[in-house]
Amino acid sequence: MAEATSTANPPKKLGRLYCKAVFTGYKRGLRNQHENTALLKIDGVGSKSETPFYYGKRCAYVYKAKRKTACPGHDKASRIRVIWGKITRSHGNSGAVRAKFRKNLPSTAMGKRIRVMLYPSQI
Amino acid sequence: SRYYPTEDKPRKLRSRKTAFSKHKHSLRSSITPGTVLILVAGRHKGKRVVFLKQLDSGLLLVTGPFHLNGCPLRRINQIYTIATKTKLDISGVKLPERLNDKYFNRKQLKKPRHTEGEIFDTKKEVYTVSDERKEDQVAVDKQILDVIRKNKEKKLLFGYLGSMFSLGSRQYPHKMVF
Repeated sequence: MAEATSTANPPKKLGRLYCKAVFTGYKRGLRNQHENTALLKIDGVGSKSETPFYYGKRCAYVYKAKRKTACPGHDKASRIRVIWGKITRSHGNSGAVRAKFRKNLPSTAMGKRIRVMLYPSQI
Repeated sequence: SRYYPTEDKPRKLRSRKTAFSKHKHSLRSSITPGTVLILVAGRHKGKRVVFLKQLDSGLLLVTGPFHLNGCPLRRINQIYTIATKTKLDISGVKLPERLNDKYFNRKQLKKPRHTEGEIFDTKKEVYTVSDERKEDQVAVDKQILDVIRKNKEKKLLFGYLGSMFSLGSRQYPHKMVF
């Protein structure tokens, strides 16, 4: 399988290693909302029994800004910024999930993509 | 007339926190020596690697093997791995004695010192792989590759370990069997 000539293998293309989720809103009663807890709808999760896999998983809201800021692991500054958080528990019966972020999510993130990572992994 | 305390240093109160060296490290039942793990974070994320053993610090020792996917002998935390049901029979593989936590500890690279006249001369030290690492890598990988070659499904395994894991559309990890 290994070739005799030492041509370096081309760097393998990496795909998606996170689950897609949407930030649907903050935890709320009808007339009051609590921004410290976000509600997430994870793609493909339709009932409460499917959510335990995601408890504790780290999630990230990735967005772009105008100013370039330093980015860990890269020499050059980049416009990409992240707000990290984790999924804390399920929400309701239909597979929605609650998450707490280090800084509360901005309301402009509603309806936008949140990445649910596969770590900390329990399987 | 002067007060001399009976002890030189005030006695430290007994702390209920245990030191890291006394921590008990558990290992998920799905991870046994020879299991193929999917790395889910870090430099080598997405790669499928072979688990060798758990080190004293609780971290897992894995190897690519290096020629298959570029992952060297490395430590990772088990929370950043997904254990698959694919297992290799590593019972016959002998790991070098010196592979322990101390071996894998990060080396402190000398930072350029700002002495007079040498400010622009000192170069930043870059990490280079040591010869003993290369030796150990070759020694371990040879045995692992032999195990794979003896396996019935060697063609599949070579391709498997060389490929990267990623989620596609309509693939949901909570529904997947790894």
